[in-house]
Amino acid sequence: MPSEKLHTLSVFSENSPGVLHRLTVIFTRRKLNIESLTVSETERKGVSRFTIVVRSDEDTILKVAKQLERIIEVLQVNVFSNGELLFKEIALYRVAADSPAKRSEIEEVARRYGAQMLNLSPSAVVLEKTGSEDDVNSLYLLLEPFGIREFVRSGRIAIAKNHG
Amino acid sequence: MPENKNKKVSGAEAIMMSLLNEGVDTVFGYPGGAIMPAYDALYDYRDRIRHVLVRHEQGASHAAEGYARVTGKPGVCLVTSGPGATNLVTGIADAIMDSVPIVCITGQVHKKALGTDAFQETDVIGITIPITKWNYQITNAEEIPRIFAKAFQIARSGRPGPVLIDITKNAQIDTFDYAYERIESTRSYTIITRPQDSEVDQAASLLNNAKRPFILVGHGVLISRAEEELRLLAEKGDIPVASTLLGLSAFPADHPLFVGMLGMHGNYAPNVLTNEADVILAVGMRFDDRVTGDLASYAKQAKIIHIEIDPAEINKSVQAEVALLSDAKEGLRALLPKLETKQRNEWKDEFKRLTEQEQEKVIEAEVNPQSGEIKMGEVVRLLSEKTKGEAIIVADVGQHQMMAARYYQYMKPDSYIASGGLGTMGFGLPAALGAKLGAPSREVVAIVGDGGFQMTLQELGTIAQEGLPVKTIILNNNFLGMVRQWQELFFDNRYSFVHLDNPDFVKIAEAFRVQAERVENRNDLSAALDRMLKSQKAYLLDIKVENEQNVFPMVPAGASISDIRLE
Repeated sequence: MPSEKLHTLSVFSENSPGVLHRLTVIFTRRKLNIESLTVSETERKGVSRFTIVVRSDEDTILKVAKQLERIIEVLQVNVFSNGELLFKEIALYRVAADSPAKRSEIEEVARRYGAQMLNLSPSAVVLEKTGSEDDVNSLYLLLEPFGIREFVRSGRIAIAKNHG
Repeated sequence: MPENKNKKVSGAEAIMMSLLNEGVDTVFGYPGGAIMPAYDALYDYRDRIRHVLVRHEQGASHAAEGYARVTGKPGVCLVTSGPGATNLVTGIADAIMDSVPIVCITGQVHKKALGTDAFQETDVIGITIPITKWNYQITNAEEIPRIFAKAFQIARSGRPGPVLIDITKNAQIDTFDYAYERIESTRSYTIITRPQDSEVDQAASLLNNAKRPFILVGHGVLISRAEEELRLLAEKGDIPVASTLLGLSAFPADHPLFVGMLGMHGNYAPNVLTNEADVILAVGMRFDDRVTGDLASYAKQAKIIHIEIDPAEINKSVQAEVALLSDAKEGLRALLPKLETKQRNEWKDEFKRLTEQEQEKVIEAEVNPQSGEIKMGEVVRLLSEKTKGEAIIVADVGQHQMMAARYYQYMKPDSYIASGGLGTMGFGLPAALGAKLGAPSREVVAIVGDGGFQMTLQELGTIAQEGLPVKTIILNNNFLGMVRQWQELFFDNRYSFVHLDNPDFVKIAEAFRVQAERVENRNDLSAALDRMLKSQKAYLLDIKVENEQNVFPMVPAGASISDIRLE
């Protein structure tokens, strides 16, 4: 078996209804699971950028990329391994904090790990962390003993280190 | 006259005007609720658009494919929403596999009813995304001209394929100012048709230095009308030429360089010698698994030059040494002046030697049997002789399809029409009626099995109503023969649900007012074929053939093509 690893695909397409569906059927056909997905409009008007993270072997992902490029609405597909990318994701954590002592402990963790305090309520605090998947995971582990009530993370957004 | 002056029209009329703007004169369809405004508009265009009323929408899709395959123009289907649309699905899936340009127009419920499970509403866009080259739902009449222009351009350009346009009922009814402009490309859809010089040089150098070069041709040669360039190139380099199933008729069968068909039931020499060639030039073909057999042992010794228009096909199954991303015609044309004139008698003799073995062990008994029941191959070979190899043969799927591919001597392009990639039983009869409409001056003979015929035989009604002189030969063995063959060879003779207790096909044809006769004896075969070919009307022959005949040679599934069996 060829070795599997995480690949990031940057897919540029016309911003029109149904493109996401067209992209996902290419993955579904090969029973590939999408690990994360983010979509937004780019600096070019009417052009969307899909950042798709998939675990697969390289040969498969290169064939998938060509099949994605075959979609009429798709302008371009780039495939990257982690080393070629600058990438971030954002995460929100609601952490139990029912005493001032706990709250200040959480504030200390947040300060040391570069997380923002977004909201305070009598029973919980909401933290925001931007970073790599590992950064987000590390903070999760640190906050876990306090009691994580709710956790949400975005998909990866990425740009290549070297352009063109 | 193209209709592009500004004029206030309904969406339904705009559909008809757009079809005329694209040069459409034939439509295969079936009316129903959500497409009724379009049919009402069609009533006023009956003098300019020939509408063929099929008996089932699947028939419309295959007829459109048959029409497209012989004309090179997109075939058009017009059907209603819901079941009308879903009945097209098999034909659309067939068309994307075999790169056939068809444009399917489906009615849809009113824009306001979308997503509400309205009567005959189905998500045909969602259903057909994986099997169309492109699809689009029109919900406003104003979109019609632009979307039709885009649909036809996408269907016929590059690697052709099926396109579906879903049109809500309100968009057919509303009026707007009509103006039509053809589209040649869009921002996200551009096609590279000419190869790069450096790649052409590399390819020419490989071929010029080759000792045992071999040309494999596919459907792309026919699609790009590259038959002449192919012949000139093969002759200049003295290079043997073999064809995939869908490439048949791109190179004349009687040409001394033609060595036959590739693949599972192809000829012996081209399969064996694919694994002996040092350079392979593959033109407009995609190394389908039925051609390659086991990939791990396929042409490992050869350097492969791949001329292909679809970038996703390059290095998909087989790694190319040099890839010419281009139209087949442009690629061959660029290569021709750089190719050196050669003589390769020793290499060609190797093909001759193996061809003689196949002739002796397989072909002779198949086409010239002296006793026993009628063989499928002898029917096909006799038909080939009587029509001088110039008819259009439309095959269904199964043993008879392979026999029609193997034993008819195709002399003119676009003469073997069959479902290759999808292997769609039921394709034959409706595709034949579409082919006849596309090429009315040519003899069109559908060769079908008794199984596949019964999947779409209702299209005899269409053939009769339209007065189409389509000839049909049923090679009747009372079995789903190909499955039976596999059960015999690979499943220990356990015949699991392959026997067919058939109706009287002659009576069925006659009930559709199609003249028909049954042939059971070898002595009657020739005269019956003559009567069928002489007839100016539709004609059907139900020919009883040997029940448990096998198609050989055969590459067993998953085996190397070198291990092709002659018996």
